[in-house]
Amino acid sequence: MNSNSPKSYPNRLGLKGWVYAGRYTFERYLYLGHRLSGMGLIAYMVLHIIETANRMRGVEAWQGLMALFASPPFKVVEYLLFAAAVFHAMNGVRLLLTELGFFLGKPKEPVYPYSSSVMRHRPLTYVIMALAGLIIILGGSSLFFP
Amino acid sequence: MRETRLWSLHLLVIPIIVVLLGTHFAIIHYAPVFYGMSVEEARSFEVMIERGRSIAQFVLYILLLAAGLYHGLYGLRGIIRELPLTPALAKLVDVGIVLFGLFIFGFGTYVTWWTFSFKIGG
Repeated sequence: MNSNSPKSYPNRLGLKGWVYAGRYTFERYLYLGHRLSGMGLIAYMVLHIIETANRMRGVEAWQGLMALFASPPFKVVEYLLFAAAVFHAMNGVRLLLTELGFFLGKPKEPVYPYSSSVMRHRPLTYVIMALAGLIIILGGSSLFFP
Repeated sequence: MRETRLWSLHLLVIPIIVVLLGTHFAIIHYAPVFYGMSVEEARSFEVMIERGRSIAQFVLYILLLAAGLYHGLYGLRGIIRELPLTPALAKLVDVGIVLFGLFIFGFGTYVTWWTFSFKIGG
């Protein structure tokens, strides 16, 4: 057998590896948040398509649904959805910038103590997350205290 | 190469989602700011039907459906495909997600068409 043939390493940690598999960094937890918020948003999108189809059942059915959405528990759900969307979008901007190679610094010789691209990128991460937090707080204030 | 194309499309639909979702928010959730009407009024049956009968709204929602479903379901596929799956199960996930996406897109398109072709008083 050729010793240079690729060896497969199965994802043995599975879902547990999402949360902890050693010293995860801040960015790794953002990655977890991005996945969770993304799954929540796609679930909501599918539900939203089904729920807005209620219009085909007539005016009363539609108005009943809108009255339900105006109730306090749905306001809270709406806010959580808004927060998930803001977080996902802002972190997505960060990921896009990284994907396109922005804010990673120029490649340089690895001399100890190493300066990784993640660390060079981190100030931007903090700024983007602070902005996301601000938008989430402001959005909550307009939703709950109109 | 196929995966690169799918990933590139996943990124390319982001600006489409941002613009169209922003428009959707402006029309409904920010109706008091952009249209001078309350959110309740913007969500009323009559206003929703009136809005849905315009060609611009019809195009906006079909594009948003396609872009949002592609971005979301491709992301979900990536998450599921990362789990330890056999090649047969991974294939099943791919086919299942495509069929589910097509079904939801078809259903959403039908609802949008129903609204677009709604006859007021008819």
